[in-house]
Amino acid sequence: MSNPDLKPELTTPDSKPDPEHQKPFGTNDADEEEDGDDENDVEDEEEEDVDVFGEPDRPKPRTREDKFRSDKLKMESLLRRMQSGPVSLRVHDVIVKGNTKTKDHVIAAEIEELKRVGSMQELLKASQLVNLRLRALDVFDAVKITLDSGPPELPGTANVTIEVVETANPLSGQIGAYTKAEARSSTVEGSLKYKNLFGYADIWDGSLAYGCDHSAELSAGMYLPRFKGLATPVTARAYLLSQDWLKFSSYKERSLGLSLGLFSSTYHDVSYNLAWRTLTDPSQMSSRPVRRQLGHNLLSSLKYTFKFDQRNSSMRPTRGYAFVSTSQIGGLAPDTRCLRFLRQEFDLRYAVPLGFYRAALNFGISGGVVFPWGNGSLSRPSSLPERFFLGGNVSPLCALGGPTALWGFKTRGLGPTEPKRQVHGENSDPSGVDFLGGDLAVTALADLSFDLPLRWFREKGIHVHAFACAGNVAKLTENEYQNFSVQKFVESIRSSVGVGLVIPTSLFRMEVCSLSLSPIIFQSK
Amino acid sequence: MEAEELTLVATKPSFDLPTACPLCLPVFIFLKLAHVPFRLSFNSIFPDSDQIPYVESGTYVAYNNKNGGVIECLKQDGIVDLDSEFQSIPDWISIKAMINSWLADAMMYELWLGSGGRSAYKIYYSDPPWPIGKVLFLKQVYVVKQRLGITKGNAEQREDEIYKRANIAYGALSTRLGEQNFLFDDRPSSLDATFLGHALVTLHALPDTSVLRSKLLEHDNIVRYAEKLKMELIESGSSSSGPQFHSVPSPSAQRKGPSNWSKLLHLKVIFLYFFLFLLLIS
Repeated sequence: MSNPDLKPELTTPDSKPDPEHQKPFGTNDADEEEDGDDENDVEDEEEEDVDVFGEPDRPKPRTREDKFRSDKLKMESLLRRMQSGPVSLRVHDVIVKGNTKTKDHVIAAEIEELKRVGSMQELLKASQLVNLRLRALDVFDAVKITLDSGPPELPGTANVTIEVVETANPLSGQIGAYTKAEARSSTVEGSLKYKNLFGYADIWDGSLAYGCDHSAELSAGMYLPRFKGLATPVTARAYLLSQDWLKFSSYKERSLGLSLGLFSSTYHDVSYNLAWRTLTDPSQMSSRPVRRQLGHNLLSSLKYTFKFDQRNSSMRPTRGYAFVSTSQIGGLAPDTRCLRFLRQEFDLRYAVPLGFYRAALNFGISGGVVFPWGNGSLSRPSSLPERFFLGGNVSPLCALGGPTALWGFKTRGLGPTEPKRQVHGENSDPSGVDFLGGDLAVTALADLSFDLPLRWFREKGIHVHAFACAGNVAKLTENEYQNFSVQKFVESIRSSVGVGLVIPTSLFRMEVCSLSLSPIIFQSK
Repeated sequence: MEAEELTLVATKPSFDLPTACPLCLPVFIFLKLAHVPFRLSFNSIFPDSDQIPYVESGTYVAYNNKNGGVIECLKQDGIVDLDSEFQSIPDWISIKAMINSWLADAMMYELWLGSGGRSAYKIYYSDPPWPIGKVLFLKQVYVVKQRLGITKGNAEQREDEIYKRANIAYGALSTRLGEQNFLFDDRPSSLDATFLGHALVTLHALPDTSVLRSKLLEHDNIVRYAEKLKMELIESGSSSSGPQFHSVPSPSAQRKGPSNWSKLLHLKVIFLYFFLFLLLIS
């Protein structure tokens, strides 16, 4: 449920200046032949500064000063040449050192760019990129790239030496509390991670998470950056998930499944999910539609997500826009008895800055539809967990995963309901109902947020927001689509307006915890 | 309780019976004997549920795992009661105990263990997807062994004991029945429903090699009693004097044999996603 932050550092804090390799890059034309003594190296900027400029407090001999002065002149000459135009250069050889466990082809796949460079400028950029990629594998404690001149008989070439330090302690663990933008509620998670078990830069992890919405998940996952030549990493996760909806819909959901990340890029994500899902009602108070859905189902589905998020923040966006589309098809199995459905949802967000007190207007619209497919599908009900439920404590401003959140309404509080079972002779609540969700859901949101005038509040990130949101769910299956009309759907939309104070906090290792107070809320009946 | 039609939710029909589950069929027969109109609905995705069968009407539900079973719930809630005049009969309790313990154990053993479990698999687990059905079936076999106290060391002994008690029960019931139409005073009771359900499942759902079935076949009057009532209550079809019932087929039954058009649509949807996936990774 938690993703490690894979953003690597751009510098090498662990690497120390190596006197043997502190050789300035030659300022002569790279096409000229170089003798063996004139070895040129370019290292990270910090080390370069140390190499060329030294430590001013130390007394240096004249010859060393002259050497530094010469190196500095060479470097300045090189920089002038590079600023005037490309300095023709190609990579002759890439040498990798330090990978005692990691397979060569894993590293080779990350350093492909180095072999395609045609100039000094490109080489520097490619080196930076390769450095970031190798760090992103998360199996090395340090990565150092050294550029050296190529063999004397091949002018205009360079050798690249990559030194990696494999992680000394592959086992790590963490525990923390998290509130993610897309999560329904906060979670407490504990996880163990083992890196590079088989040398494929594989990362294995096991985690246990408990959510405040009575959900619990035990999972184990594997991350492979390079699998059979695929350009994107492959992830696999086995999980046992339990969710308690007894209070709202009189059922508990338990899933035992396997999730495979097949393709992942900046904007696209494709995953496959195979799960054994069981719905039970230990309370035996469920309504008729829920009773009909209790039992075991096999879920075999493919999910495609397109996400384009150009907002400056996911928790408090003040500029930018975002669009997310998620398509899911279930029933991809030879066995025709597994759960078959089509689900489509989308999210559109737009934030307009107003230019004072970090104020911003946020607009958003979300929609989704689900229906079963197959012979006689529309006369059957859709699967209960796949339906859309509106309401809850999640901020619709932060949630970017379809129509789920709606301020001012309790969890699953919007949409069709059905009375629960009545037990004779017991004090049963006559108003007890099950929230059944809907097959079609639409929500819209408008939010104005701004900082408070006091500096203390601004520094803490405490801000005020006024919002208006509306939404509706409708049933389409069991032939209800024949009675559906857009006019009726629009006329029965529920809406709420209000103001609130947002207090972002941080606890333990919690990424963000925000508490939203909405003391004044007006709901439409 | 609102005056709404009763619905009996049971396992799916098989072996030429409206439901071949030995827990569900007695409830069906009980409602038929009581001439109560009801709908028959099926649940094929929860074969290991102890709540099924259940009877519902509006917000009223009588579950099988409460208050001694569905029939007892219906009696206690004043919905249907065939036994009001039989409680005082001295044999009532002993016959009831014999049917609900010895014959119930014998049926459980024969269905899950004695006949290799093939009948049980067909009754309960042929509808859920294969891996789920298989795992649940194996789990249920284990549960049955636990309930009957069967271990590797005493398997044969327990089997003999179960068959012996079943034989004694059949003999006693055969004597009790004689040539009457029902067990008590020639009027139907809940024990008739329970025993008839047991007999019909034994005769029709268990294989010919079943030991329990062969023991039941030794009592001709029981066989005649079962077949006669089966014809009157189940095979007679719709009748103006008899109770009406409407069966709602299980959702999985509707999925069998998809039309060519829907097959083509399935393929189109799958290919569309496959090509989209190829486009992305290229």
